[in-house]
Amino acid sequence: MTLAKDKVGIICCSGEDLPEGTISRVATRLVLEKLRPDDTVTLCLPLFLAGGEDERAFARVFPTIAVDGCGKKCAEVGTTKYSGKPVATIVVSEIMKKYPQVRATSHQKLNAEEMEIAREIAEEIAKKVDEILCSQTK
Amino acid sequence: MQSNQVNAQSTETEKVLIIACAGTDKALGSVTRVIAFKVVEKLRPNETTLVSIPPLVAEVKPYSELVKKYPSIIIDGCAERCATKLAIKNGAKMKGRIFLPQSAQKYNLKPNTAFDIGPEGEELAEKTAQEIAVQVDKLLGKVS
Repeated sequence: MTLAKDKVGIICCSGEDLPEGTISRVATRLVLEKLRPDDTVTLCLPLFLAGGEDERAFARVFPTIAVDGCGKKCAEVGTTKYSGKPVATIVVSEIMKKYPQVRATSHQKLNAEEMEIAREIAEEIAKKVDEILCSQTK
Repeated sequence: MQSNQVNAQSTETEKVLIIACAGTDKALGSVTRVIAFKVVEKLRPNETTLVSIPPLVAEVKPYSELVKKYPSIIIDGCAERCATKLAIKNGAKMKGRIFLPQSAQKYNLKPNTAFDIGPEGEELAEKTAQEIAVQVDKLLGKVS
């Protein structure tokens, strides 16, 4: 018998209101497509909020990480409301405080500085994924 | 905050709201996001306001008030129609709707991925944004 490998669900706010929402989206895609493609799945927040039972069921059973652009934490709040509190929440605006010289402005394509921050956030998400999966195998 | 984004002070002038699903797991979801930005930032910056779904659902003001006041054009990226469901549930006055899979079929354009929509995704976004801009003008009585 081969045991199915656990996955971590990543739910990003992807908000269009602030550039940080775009960074949350790009960082999430970097994790899903490049850093941890075998360990993660994306949960679409609009579908989740609209009542997507598959998404909600996944988040009830598997650990999730919310990637929010700002302090409103829509991804964390939505996930908690419909499935359960995410194991970790990453708030882009908090991380950006480490880079006072960078002021995020891009709503669509990130500039080089914003992309660098998105990569760092993606690395942080990947680290959380590893921690979660490692703790589950103990 | 940019002038074409949600702003409680901007409610005195007539506006059309643009609500896109912006789903993260499909390429067409990414295209809806690009379309919304094209309309509110380039094509009709003074006539439209972008409403982001997560804060709308979280009942963050002024989003929750704006959707009840102004007409909306909704852009759905897949058959789940999340943007329509959530907008209506939160009181939006839907006056137009784009179902992007249909538009992709109509124009015979296929975006690459959710991460990189590619040239066909860009073209699809441009053509659809132009359609929405015309619809905005009609809603605001600028064309017959």
